[in-house]
Amino acid sequence: MSGGFDRRWLQLLVIWAVLLAVPFWLPLVGGYTALAGRVLVLGLAAMSFNILLGFTGVMSFGHAAYFGLGAYGAGLTLKFLAASTPLAMLMGVLLGGGLGALFGLLIVRRRGVYFAMVTVAFGQVAFYVAYSWNDFTGGYDGLRGFSRAPLNLGFTTIDITNNSTAFYYFLLVVFAVAVGLQALLLASPFGRTLLAIRENERRARFLGIPIERHIWLSFSISCCFTALAGSLYALLNNFADPMGLHYSLSGEIVIMTVMGGMRAFWGPLLGAAVFVVLQDYISSMTVNWMSFIGLIFVLVVLFFPRGLLGMLQRRNAA
Amino acid sequence: MLQVVLFNVTNGLIIGAFYVLMALGLSLILNLSNVINFAHGNFLALGGYFAYMLTPAIGFWGALLVAPLLTALLGFIVERLMIRRVYNRDPVYSLLLTFGLAFIMQDACRFIWGPNGLPLGVPDSMSAPISDQLFFITWYRIFNVAVVIVAVSGLFAFLRFTRVGVRIRAGTLDLETVSALGVNVSMLRSFNFGLGCLLAGLAGVLAAGQIGLNPNMGDDLLMPSFIAIIVGGVGSLTGTLVGGLLIGVAAALTTIVWPAASEAVIYVIMAVVLVLRPRGLMGEEGMLT
Amino acid sequence: MSNMLEVKGVSKHFGSLRAVENVSLMVAPGELRAIIGPNGAGKTTFFNLISGFFPPTSGDIVFDGEVITQLPVAARVARGMARTFQITEIFPELTVRENIRIGAESAAGLRLNFWRTRAEAAQVEAAIDEMLTLTGLTAQADRLVGEMSHGDQRAAEIAMALTLKPRLLLLDEPTAGMGEHETYQIAGLIHRLHKNSSYTIVLIEHDMRVVFNLADRITVLDQGKLLADGTPKEIADDPHVQAAYLGSAE
Repeated sequence: MSGGFDRRWLQLLVIWAVLLAVPFWLPLVGGYTALAGRVLVLGLAAMSFNILLGFTGVMSFGHAAYFGLGAYGAGLTLKFLAASTPLAMLMGVLLGGGLGALFGLLIVRRRGVYFAMVTVAFGQVAFYVAYSWNDFTGGYDGLRGFSRAPLNLGFTTIDITNNSTAFYYFLLVVFAVAVGLQALLLASPFGRTLLAIRENERRARFLGIPIERHIWLSFSISCCFTALAGSLYALLNNFADPMGLHYSLSGEIVIMTVMGGMRAFWGPLLGAAVFVVLQDYISSMTVNWMSFIGLIFVLVVLFFPRGLLGMLQRRNAA
Repeated sequence: MLQVVLFNVTNGLIIGAFYVLMALGLSLILNLSNVINFAHGNFLALGGYFAYMLTPAIGFWGALLVAPLLTALLGFIVERLMIRRVYNRDPVYSLLLTFGLAFIMQDACRFIWGPNGLPLGVPDSMSAPISDQLFFITWYRIFNVAVVIVAVSGLFAFLRFTRVGVRIRAGTLDLETVSALGVNVSMLRSFNFGLGCLLAGLAGVLAAGQIGLNPNMGDDLLMPSFIAIIVGGVGSLTGTLVGGLLIGVAAALTTIVWPAASEAVIYVIMAVVLVLRPRGLMGEEGMLT
Repeated sequence: MSNMLEVKGVSKHFGSLRAVENVSLMVAPGELRAIIGPNGAGKTTFFNLISGFFPPTSGDIVFDGEVITQLPVAARVARGMARTFQITEIFPELTVRENIRIGAESAAGLRLNFWRTRAEAAQVEAAIDEMLTLTGLTAQADRLVGEMSHGDQRAAEIAMALTLKPRLLLLDEPTAGMGEHETYQIAGLIHRLHKNSSYTIVLIEHDMRVVFNLADRITVLDQGKLLADGTPKEIADDPHVQAAYLGSAE
């Protein structure tokens, strides 16, 4: 169906054009580059989370844990180990992804709300460790005293520390590589087994697919990418704090995903953009921003469950 | 030394009692409706705030009776207006809904009553310690434990001996059959949700008398309630009871030897249970998968 | 020639409920066997035992000479057993082609692959086209399975099962809930599969026209026990079967 194909390429083109041109158009509408960075990072977190929710059909409500662990991993590396951005990112992924994979082994036989409950509990364990281990993690105040290091590529050094535009493009490159990998993964035979599990676990089992193993793989991969997003977050803010692990952030990641459309690959990014911008705007307008955020949750669930891209898909198909 | 141990064990039982009250309400809702009520802590807070509003008019004892009922009513309404609509969909929606409600309710409390702590007046007779020796145990704390014991016994009796209670229990195991037998499942769920909120509201009144009111007061009890359910076993109310007491006492005893680790020990217990007996101490295999 | 499937004195008790009680069954290679019986006779439980959903309380199951009694589902699927369900189990929000592709890739051992080589892709796509032709779904290949008619959904489910290149095909009430035309469609498909003698087929059915037209042999279950076993003519003439089932059937 060439009609559908063209639409997909057009969609991709638009998305990348918009993302690439951010430093140019964003200030014109009253935004700032760090906001775009925030959208990219949380968008990546949401897209990574969606590997599990939208594509495998498994519900985790504690995903902020891996995000936060990634942030702490990166921050601690920069603070105590070496002033190397790539190393920081690697350590973030190892910490968040590794602990996620280990935890996943324990819970992979559970399903549904029970699974969600234990994921929340794990997140709170991480939160607790972060705010109590004062000497190491900085406690409630968070981890400070580190900053992203310039990228030494051998033939040139890119100053991402001070040049926020350069840092934005650095984020974009990492983002592009990450979502590129995700897209390849989801379009592969392995990715299709995940779809099968989402659509009909029993049938998938009866086709010879080892369900628990594939759910664990999906979970672990999702945690690794989420941790990557977390490490980028630490680089963005030069700061990591326990609230990055709290289940309220987990809930926000879920709502971003659902709001944008959990059955669409780019849905979570769109949802993150809308949510981050709304959150930014509302919290500057009123002290009761929490009510509005809560209201967004309720309205999306009751009236826009398929999310923005989901509604568009419906309209195109009809 | 004995005093210290006694102090901590008593504390543990009191904390455990609160965990149990919270967790049982949460468990009821989880078992019958497959919903994690993230707003449970907020219903607790509301219970306390309702009592605060009612005490000037009908006194502490009146508030103790009425505030939980009001909380239950609110829960019932919320369930019928909103949560009921998303039962047939992917569970992610009901979770997001209670999540959003938690945000709204917390902010509403802050908006109506302010972010600072408010006191709840408790009858003077109860503020006194029960003896000079055991100065750390006030009558109020004993009263708390007594109320919890009565409430929990009442709950279990209700579930065992009344028609509605039996239907709730049956619905937990096989909702389809219950529906086929002509029971109005929709009403049952709403009632059950209200019942869960009743327990939360009651916990709120009791807690307010002890630590005062603030919009966040339910937060500290929400996570331990989760863990009580996980440890005790999903699907089993007795398990939740055991789980709540276990972690309460464990936390208190840990305070004796290693104060800093008392919160951590709850998580450790959960981890151990997940590794050795994932279905929980009294959970059944296959429940709520 | 040894049997493809041998079920020996198998029982399944759920507490005090005896769903299946001492049932034996021998199916020869290439045979089409129908299992019939009143509702609650234990037919689906029996199927669950053969396919590995749960182990039997007692008895043995031998598949092509190998004892498989305690093997889990995945192991039996790997050994050549495929199954369809009473309520069609398909992937509703995927197209027919995508549904079959998942089965084909699983069969080709590509489950954990993060990419496909050109040769593998060609092999899989060829297998999909073959299945589409065999089940008559080529024209609908890109429709969402959830939106198709009952009969087509069942055909898609059978196509998925066939991608596993099974030697034994277990069909649980393949014409359940179907109208005249769809029943004819599915019965025709099963007949075509039967003519290709590499498939051994065991099916549970309530529609007696389908049973008596297709089956080589019929097994009758009643209240968990084996009531009769024989050719269609023998079963039709059996007074016990008539009393228990055929007399009061549709």
